[in-house]
Amino acid sequence: MGTRKKSNPVENRDLKGTERHGADAQLSSLTGGIAHDLNTVLTTIYGYCELALESLSDSRENENYIRRIIAATDRAKTLTGQLLDLSRRATQEKVPVRVANVLADTIDFISPSLPKGIRINRRIRTPDASVMAAPVQLFRVFMNLTINAIQAMRAKGGTLTVTVDHAEPSDSPGETQKGSHVLIRFTDTGTGMDEETAAKIFRPFFTGGKEKGTGLGLTVVSDAVREMGGRISVISAPDAGTTFDLIIPDPFFGTIPEKN
Amino acid sequence: MAGVMIVEDDAALRELLKDSLEKRKYTVITAADGREALAKFRPSVVDLVITDLLMPEEDGLMVIMKIREIKPSTRMIAISGGGKAGPGSYLMMASKLGADHIISKPFLPSELVQKVKELLG
Repeated sequence: MGTRKKSNPVENRDLKGTERHGADAQLSSLTGGIAHDLNTVLTTIYGYCELALESLSDSRENENYIRRIIAATDRAKTLTGQLLDLSRRATQEKVPVRVANVLADTIDFISPSLPKGIRINRRIRTPDASVMAAPVQLFRVFMNLTINAIQAMRAKGGTLTVTVDHAEPSDSPGETQKGSHVLIRFTDTGTGMDEETAAKIFRPFFTGGKEKGTGLGLTVVSDAVREMGGRISVISAPDAGTTFDLIIPDPFFGTIPEKN
Repeated sequence: MAGVMIVEDDAALRELLKDSLEKRKYTVITAADGREALAKFRPSVVDLVITDLLMPEEDGLMVIMKIREIKPSTRMIAISGGGKAGPGSYLMMASKLGADHIISKPFLPSELVQKVKELLG
């Protein structure tokens, strides 16, 4: 079983896939980290105020003081919310992102938690394939698909294979010439699903009825891929696993990207 | 009374949550990270786990996945203060991995206690 320090891929450093490592990214990391830690401190302040209020007998004066502490904490909570918004805005900006590197971040992040009997294989045929995306958004897409695959394979174990390649013309009919899109394929050997279920999985609040969750994961994935100018499709069958194909424009195809 | 495990790396918050639940007569075990949580979980009687998500060593997502394997009937609440990817992001992952309920920090202990009560029936 591996260990993961608090500095995980998306928390305290830039995603490796990001080409730009500027002051914005550092500021975003800093504000996100401060807001996270402050929210924990604020929970403690709120909590002891609440416990103190419950323990007061009839001391009006003390009650008044504690309510003032709570009011001040409310203001601090608003500030941490603003810090998180600032951090999120900075990370939602679209930049050139190397797909293989964000995939590596995702696998690094999830690997320590992988249940026994489940493996993740990478087939990176185009290490430089890049898309225009917010790195955190692409990370979320990969995390969602990876977690879905793990859930589908949890009972019997299995292998998730993630392939990164340039899309062939047949993969994106009538849209582009060869190679101007990147294909990201997630194939698991899990339980799979029938045609009727597969047709509904991108709908909001559809959970398939077996797993816990908000039912928003694949809707979020689908929306994010669309925002990157791409599309997502699924092929699945009961007991035959599931394959998700993401085809996203690669505006840098044929150029030599700056190494990060 | 039911057994509750609190997994939180911030010592002050960990103590607060412990005090809040012990006041309601729950038996409380605490752990400062996921590794300690798993070591204490096996020999203990734990009906519900409250876990932070971003912690040093083993984190909360791993705690949720492992405990779902070890004892699937355990009820779980994930708490998070956010970070660069946003609190919703981590909490959504926790929910997908099997948390019964998710709460964003900051929150009031009464909110958490109420949820513990509901989940333990």
